[in-house]
Amino acid sequence: MDWFGAGGNGPLIAVRAIHFATTAVTAGNLVFRTLVVKPVSHFDPAAAKSLGTQTLRLAWIGLVITLLSGAIWLVLQAVSMSGLPLDEAMTPGVLSTVLSQTQFGMVTEIRFALAIVLAACLACHRSALADALALAAALGLAAAIAWSGHAGSTLGERGNLHLAADAMHLVAASIWIGGLVPLVLLLAASRHRPEVGSAALAREATRRFSTLGIVSVATLSATGVVNAWILVGSFHAFVVTGYGRLLIFKLVAFAIMLVFAALNRFRLTPRLAASTGNEARLDALHKLTRNSTIEIALGFVIFAMVGMLGTLHPAIHLVVR
Amino acid sequence: MRRSSVFGIFPLLLLLATGEASAHAMLDHAEPRVGNKVAASPHEVTLWFTQKLEPAFSTVTVTDPAGKQVDTGKVRVSGNQMSVSLRPGGPGTYHVTWRVLSVDSHSTDGSFAFQVGQ
Repeated sequence: MDWFGAGGNGPLIAVRAIHFATTAVTAGNLVFRTLVVKPVSHFDPAAAKSLGTQTLRLAWIGLVITLLSGAIWLVLQAVSMSGLPLDEAMTPGVLSTVLSQTQFGMVTEIRFALAIVLAACLACHRSALADALALAAALGLAAAIAWSGHAGSTLGERGNLHLAADAMHLVAASIWIGGLVPLVLLLAASRHRPEVGSAALAREATRRFSTLGIVSVATLSATGVVNAWILVGSFHAFVVTGYGRLLIFKLVAFAIMLVFAALNRFRLTPRLAASTGNEARLDALHKLTRNSTIEIALGFVIFAMVGMLGTLHPAIHLVVR
Repeated sequence: MRRSSVFGIFPLLLLLATGEASAHAMLDHAEPRVGNKVAASPHEVTLWFTQKLEPAFSTVTVTDPAGKQVDTGKVRVSGNQMSVSLRPGGPGTYHVTWRVLSVDSHSTDGSFAFQVGQ
């Protein structure tokens, strides 16, 4: 049963999902490293340094997978655009036409350049300028995806609004879901470090990430409404199209993520801050780690759905108005 | 899973498995209009789509009542609009066949007819 009408696009959906997830992990890691951990690193410099090394390693892994999946995405897109079989679409002629004469190709080139800038900045990460440039390049790498999707083909003024909303949506999703990965690493490490400084680092970093999470969720909600208004347009289209149905599943996953995020923000973070005994602190850290891991899993499910949504015709074009 | 949960999910699955409301509506409108009659053979056919198009992968061909290709082959694409010039032809039914790639990389194709004279 093909509920969403995405039959036959399995490889393209999979590679898009992986690409979106690793782009988000790369950007989210760098945001977490710069805006969440650095300002509170004085509480436990050794733990902060160790986490810094881990986030850098994660950003590298994310970037390499982003580049590889981006190359595969380009080839699969060339197959889809040209209507040719894989071996014929992989010729220099077809690939250069896609790269130089389509918006998808041009966006791919720009994003490749951003990835190179990011790699160079990660390689010389000891300078503050390199860190700032790396952050900008990583966020640009995520935001630019908007121009290769549905937002890139929306007409007129509505198209500009759609692009702005989609770019912000991508950045907010990267900061939230991508940032959860180093948060889990920090919380897990803190459970094995009983020092007062380590507890303070975990507490303050969690509090700062919570604030960032609230801003991200607000941005995701507002821009999500704009995107849905442009791509779905009516309650009817939500229910009767594959695109609309998949979007409902995405919203359900988002709502469940919000429940776990709210538990972390309003119950467990205050409990971690108020904990005086080691047992209470470990319990709060354990639950925060567990909930954040569930959020990451749900986030990756959402990336898989986004991978599929981009291959479907927007609901608004499928219903009789 | 409890039995009540299974019964609760079933109607939802049925709702989700229902078919599409209609076919794709990528072509917004065309000039000469789809299915309409015009007095004389037009100089060109223009199609407007619901999304921006990729010129490198968008084509249109027009055939006269005898099935002969009457377009010049030079397709012009601008935004969501695609045009092709026609050589003069006689009365009868003309067929327009198009295949377009939108900027978000969805391919669609279709065809329509219009009448000249009579």
